[in-house]
Amino acid sequence: MADIDTMKKWDRAAPFFDIMAGEGAEKRWLEAKRALFSHMQGDVLLLAAGTGLDFAALPPGRRVTAIDISAGMLSRAAPRARRYAGDLQLVQMDVNQLAFADASFDQVYTSCTLCSVPRPVHALQALRQALRPGGTLFMFEHTGSRYFPFNLMLHAMDPLSRRSGPSLTRDTVANVAAAGFTLTSVNHLFLDVVKTITAVRPAADSTP
Amino acid sequence: MEFRAWYCFGDLLSNAVVALLTALAADALFSPDWSMFTAMVAAMALGMAIANACCLLVLMRCFGAMEIMLPAMLTGMLVGMAVGMSRTMSGLATLDHVLLALVIALLTTVAVWGLDQHLSGEQLPQPAPGNPRQRDRQAQE
Repeated sequence: MADIDTMKKWDRAAPFFDIMAGEGAEKRWLEAKRALFSHMQGDVLLLAAGTGLDFAALPPGRRVTAIDISAGMLSRAAPRARRYAGDLQLVQMDVNQLAFADASFDQVYTSCTLCSVPRPVHALQALRQALRPGGTLFMFEHTGSRYFPFNLMLHAMDPLSRRSGPSLTRDTVANVAAAGFTLTSVNHLFLDVVKTITAVRPAADSTP
Repeated sequence: MEFRAWYCFGDLLSNAVVALLTALAADALFSPDWSMFTAMVAAMALGMAIANACCLLVLMRCFGAMEIMLPAMLTGMLVGMAVGMSRTMSGLATLDHVLLALVIALLTTVAVWGLDQHLSGEQLPQPAPGNPRQRDRQAQE
């Protein structure tokens, strides 16, 4: 069954997404995202597309399928997708219900996504299944913090933030490992909160 | 750590703005009639709320997200605590509270930069079975 609540939440957020939180963060993170996305090759799955702010950081000439659960987000992403100098397809899809065949992609990229997806370990397991064995998961994410007082502040803001946007306290690195990936790097970009994570689907992995 | 001038300026400005507004609000709201503990806790919450509002409405659009929000909230909390307590027990003038707040903002910004410098960079996970680094090493052996 489709996750209607999540879909509606992001449809409501779509008109304000760029001005409320998107643009300032995207400008500050652009260089780091460009560095992460520079590894793109082969068949690439990108989630979540959002309003397409990340498309400016994609290297040209790649073959990318970008999914998002929200039609409102995708309608705003469409003009940015048309400006991309490569093959960029937008598809409305819930990461917890991926409709792609197993082992469809060489790489999966996430950009501030696993903070928002319900059942993150299940979603990561679905992504692992969509990756070819030996394929790589590249993530740009914000997570919770281990350090006082930042963990206190993130927990204080979390209940409000989750109502209209992301969770601020997730341990995404642990979730990636719990989903069956092999972690290969974790790179902190701001404190231990904003980070890039890379992980691979083990080459011998045949479990769903 | 952030070295780009625009974002360093943004970090300093964000903390200064939150400190200034929190100091003025706490200076106006609290008085020697309050108990010190109540004023301290209430002013800390006030500072965090002011930081949230400033960041969401203006500052995050220009300078970033977490990099702005977390230090600004810390500044708001510390300035609220200091000015709230000060108002219950001393005769410091509003200007003194503003100067105190700006010093706290500067120290908080520098402390967060230092912690960020300490924490940022590659944090290699423990090698696990199937880790490519380990596989490479085993292949070489």
